[in-house]
Parts: sequence; C-alpha cells; structure tokens
Amino acid sequence: MQKTIYQPGKKNGIVRKIETITKHGDRIWLGLNFSMGVVIIVLMVLIGILLWNQSAASRQEFGLSFISPFARATWNPVNGTFNAWPFIYGTLITSLVAILIAVPLSLGIAIFLFELCPAWLRTPLSLLVELLSAIPSVVYGLWGIFVFLPVVIAPLGKFLGNALGNLPLLGILFIGPISASGSSRLAAGVILAIMITPTIAAVSRDVFMAIPNSQREASLALGATRWETISKVLLPYGVSGILGAVILGLGRALGETMAVTMVIGNSISNSGSLLKAGYTMSSVIANEFAEAVSALHSQALIEVALILFLMTLVLNIIARLLVWRVSRKSSSEVRA
Amino acid sequence: MHSKRTSIAAIFLAGAVMLSACSTAATPNTTSANSSASGSIQINGAGATFPQPVYAAWTYAYQYVDPSVAVNYQGIGSGGGKKAIIDGTVDFAGSDSLLTADEYTSGKDLQMIPILAGAVVPIYNLTLGSGAPTTPLILNGVLLAGIYNGTLTMWNDPAIVALNPDLASFLPAEKITAVHRSDGSGTTELFTKALTSFSPTWTAGGAASVEWPVDAAGNGIGGKGNPGVAAAVQNTPNSIGYVELSYALSNKIAYASMINKAGALVVANGASIESAMSDFANTFTDKLTNTIVDAPGKGSWPIAGYTYLVLHTTSTTDCVKTQKLLEYVRWSLTDSGAAKLATDLGYSVLPTSVQGMVLDTLGKVTCNGAAVPQ
Repeated sequence: MQKTIYQPGKKNGIVRKIETITKHGDRIWLGLNFSMGVVIIVLMVLIGILLWNQSAASRQEFGLSFISPFARATWNPVNGTFNAWPFIYGTLITSLVAILIAVPLSLGIAIFLFELCPAWLRTPLSLLVELLSAIPSVVYGLWGIFVFLPVVIAPLGKFLGNALGNLPLLGILFIGPISASGSSRLAAGVILAIMITPTIAAVSRDVFMAIPNSQREASLALGATRWETISKVLLPYGVSGILGAVILGLGRALGETMAVTMVIGNSISNSGSLLKAGYTMSSVIANEFAEAVSALHSQALIEVALILFLMTLVLNIIARLLVWRVSRKSSSEVRA
Repeated sequence: MHSKRTSIAAIFLAGAVMLSACSTAATPNTTSANSSASGSIQINGAGATFPQPVYAAWTYAYQYVDPSVAVNYQGIGSGGGKKAIIDGTVDFAGSDSLLTADEYTSGKDLQMIPILAGAVVPIYNLTLGSGAPTTPLILNGVLLAGIYNGTLTMWNDPAIVALNPDLASFLPAEKITAVHRSDGSGTTELFTKALTSFSPTWTAGGAASVEWPVDAAGNGIGGKGNPGVAAAVQNTPNSIGYVELSYALSNKIAYASMINKAGALVVANGASIESAMSDFANTFTDKLTNTIVDAPGKGSWPIAGYTYLVLHTTSTTDCVKTQKLLEYVRWSLTDSGAAKLATDLGYSVLPTSVQGMVLDTLGKVTCNGAAVPQ
C-alpha cells in the first residue's frame, strides 16, 4: 500500500524523464492555439497583398477612374477600357435592399420565437429557420429563376414601377418597366434578403435568450405591456448583439455570388433603377475570370476583387466600432 | 446500456451497407470501362460549349472503341478552354474563338485544328396569340445588328413586319429583350463577327467578350454558356438570343430563318452549313483557321463557323497520352459512326479536302522530339 502512494520527493528514472517532457505541455498547447489565431491574420494579410500585387497594372492604368461613378460606364475587354462603378453600385444596392427587408423580418421572427411562440411550436420553427440557411446558394438561384421571379417579382416590379416610378427622388430607383423575365436588382435584393434572414434571426434569438429574465420580469412588474417590454427594455439591451447579427448578414449579402448571378441579369446598363437588370462585383468575377486571357482584363477583375475585399473589411470595421459604441452606451443606461 | 451500444452499432453497419450499395449502383459505365483495363489513361479537355453536345456523345462512344482511354470534356467557354491549354491544365481545348497573337506567344506551340462546323441561330420567345401561323420568324443580318445595338427595340417594328408579312397582325407591341453571353464565348465571337460583316452600324467588334450596346440601352440580359442563353430566352417573354443549333433543336426552342447575303431565305441545317464551308474552301490561313460568316452562296447559312481543337504540338512529355489523344482525334474525324453522331445533332463534318489538311497537320505532332506513332 505504501508503495502505490505517489511520493513527490522520491521518483524513479522513467517517471522523471516523462515529467521533464510533459511539464512543458501547457506551454506547447498555448503556443499551438496562439499560432492558429495568428494563421487567420496572416492568411488575410496574404490575400490582401496578393490582390494588391496582381492588380498593379490595372491600378496604374486606370487609377481612380476605375471606381468613379462619373467616368463612362464601360467594361470593354476588346478595347481594354474598364470602369467598375456599375458593379460596385450593383453590390451596394442589392445588399442595401436585402438588409432593409431582412432586418425587420428577422427581428420579427426572433421576437416571435422568443416571446410569443407557444412552446410546442418553438423547437420545430427554430429548426426550420436554421434549415433555411443550410439551403445551397445555387438552389436559391434555380428556385428564383423558375418560381420566384415569374410569380412574385415580375408582378411586384410592375406594381412598383407604376406606383413609384414617377416620384421625384425615389422614382429614379423605380424607373420601370421591369425586365420581362423579372431578372433585376430587385430580384437579387429580395432573394439575398431571404438568404440572410435565417442568419440574423438565429443570432438575434440567441441574443434575446441571453438577456437575464430579471429585466423582463422587472419591466412587466412595473406595468409595462408586452410590446413596451420588448421595445423599451429587451431591444435596447440586446441591440449590440443584434447589430452583430446584422453585420454577419451584411457580410454574406456582399459576397453572395451564385444566387445573385442567376437572377440579376448580368447586364451593364446605364440606368440605376432597381427594376432593371444589373451586375455585381462577385458576379462579374465569377462570369469572366476563368476566361480573361488578356493580362489587363484579368488584372482589372482582380482589382474588382480587391475593392470587394476592402469594402467588406471597411464595412465590418465600421459596424464593429458601432457595436462597441452602442454597447458602452446601452450598458450605462441600464446601470442608471 | 449494452443494448443501446449494440443498437448504435447496428445502425452504423446498416448505413455502411446501404452507402456502399449506392456507390456501386450509381456509376455502372465508368466502372465497367475502367475495370476492363488496369490503369486507364485519362485525357482531359475543356472549352467551348458550342460543340459540347457532340463531344459528350463522342467521349461516351469512345469508351467502347478504346476501353483503355477515358476522355473527359468540360464546357467552360472558349475563353476558359484557351486559358486552360495555355496554363497546361488540360490536354486539349475546344474553342470557336481564334487564338490571338499574344495567346500563340504565351502558349508557345499551340495549333488549332478544325473539327466540325456548326451554325449559330437566333432563338426567340414570342407570344403571338392564337391563330398565328407557326412558320419560323424571318430575320436578316441588318435587323439582328439593330436589335443588338439597341436601336431596333420593338417586336412590331416595320422592318421586322416587312420580312414577316403574315405575322403582321400578331407581332406584339413589346420591347425586345436581347439575351447575350455573359462569359467569354466563341459563339459570341462567331455571332459578333457576323454582325460586323452584316452592318457597318455594329461597332462593338467581333470578339469573344464585347461591350453590348443593347445593355447600355437597358434591354440586354447575360446568360452563362449556351445552355444559360437558351434558358434565359425560354424564361423571358418577348426575347431573342443566339445559340448553337443543337441547343435550339434539343430544347425545342423556336429559331429564326434568315435572309443571307445572296438575298435567299435559308434555314440552318447541315446543307446550309456545308454551303457556307464550300464558299470559303480556299481561304484557310496558315494556322488552319477560317472564317465562314456571311457566306455569299445562295444556300449558305450566314452565321456558320468552324469549331477547333487546340493542341500542343511539340511540348508534350507523356507520349502514350499524346498518342492516345491523336488516335481519338483521328477517330472523331474519320469514323463514320462519329460523323453520324455529329450530323444527327445538327453539325457538319469537314469536307474531304479540309480533313486531309487536318490529318496532315496531326501527323506532324511530336512528343519529346520524336514523331508520335500512328
């Protein structure tokens, strides 16, 4: 019995050897984890450097006129003149439309799932919402072409064109008529909204679940109605988390390629209207990169990729700063 | 606890059995073709979607001609094919778009060889209403140039009605949506070269990727690949597009007849393609390329073109693969079964004189400095 008790003072040779090796285990483990984190940063920096270098000739040739909305909107591989503003505009406007539709929709879904849903419906409905985000992008595109565009977008576009096309400022966005098959920026925006809603809804629901019950109970105890509790107590408390969810959704919308390419019409037009066919940065790269043989054409496409990369980075940084600022404000409010 | 473990194990076992059954059932052809010879030779090609229906039929049939070889062709567009052969990622490329001087320099020892000729046809989706005659629409080159320039915008334009008097009351007063290719395409190059020849108003050039004036006018839509354009036309009412003849035939899409340079009405078929080929029989360049659009003959289809294979001629190092590739190409050119597969799909095989030129050129391909055994 005495022999089996571990006596730290007395060790035989093998035990001591094993100890000298394994006592560094923690450090090795921490080091591995640290290097994994560093790998991510290094990867991003390398991608940025690659994009920057490979687009050198194009940047030198066109300079700022590449992204200028005032230069002639031309993407001409035959002459070698390129201007990427139509694609930048397409990406921005479709993502904006997607966010405008998806955020209220997702918040509504999250609030319903959290607050108002009967218990027997909660789990199946949450599962269905999460399943929506698992549908592949190309399936959304196919469904869009064959079902959604002719059945929903074409009539909707006709209605919006007639109703809003003549308004002074907003009308520019709705100059009709909508293209015959429904392929338009509006179609891309709506399908993007459907694709990012599950992401935003799932994260928002988790944010609501994380709010301590005491807040809700205190508000109800003070006599607030359900709606007042949600709008005045829960939403402000969770706004930083919800903003984070919206950032996630926006990131997906900016980069989404397949579904957008299939429904946006792939056309570089002079009109900025939502009802006309358009083009996005990711679509033009997907369509043209495999065949861009002339060096200037490939470099121009890589410059478009660089712009997309920087745009996503900048938007994410702005949104992250916003989240920090808001969370500082809201927590101080709660404390007061 | 014990019963739970056995039930989980049983589920895994059943799943594994079912999955293995699925995988063996799913691919009967390739496994039988490969298992008959140990280590089958894989030949990869990529490029134009213009000849893709024929290449798919040929690669399938060739498994039975020579089971030790598996030929694989991917339709990614002529531009993609040219890039792939220059980069060395494929053994042969398919392209209707001619190699430029820069591409010949980057590729070093590339040779284009004509394999087939095909026709590009204007397909359309028109709702004419009941009682309308079912004869195809008649167009001419000037009209097509106008449509893709964005200057001819309505289906009931007097110029279209003039060519189609019996459709006068049925042509709708709707805007024409013109569908074009969004990727770099040899079909586009053929079509735009034809437009350049048809009308001086077409100034966007004749190349695989152009800036479409109809886009700037707001009536253009881009589709990816010949199948993409066919699908876009089918899904867009009152639209027009251009695809290779076999896509129009196999998808049963209506395609227009055209009035050619001689002023005669022609339908796209084997005979009109052959007529175009014979009109330009002596204008082959020293690179074995030829443009046969806007042919002057009475029975010639105005938008016909050769489709080419692009091969490396001196820099290949795998001589067995090179020999097998050349055998496949010779089979596709000379075998009567292969010719029938092509003509059934709406293409035309090369006339004997051109075939002779091509076979001569194939004989000059070397591998590692030595001639390739035939």
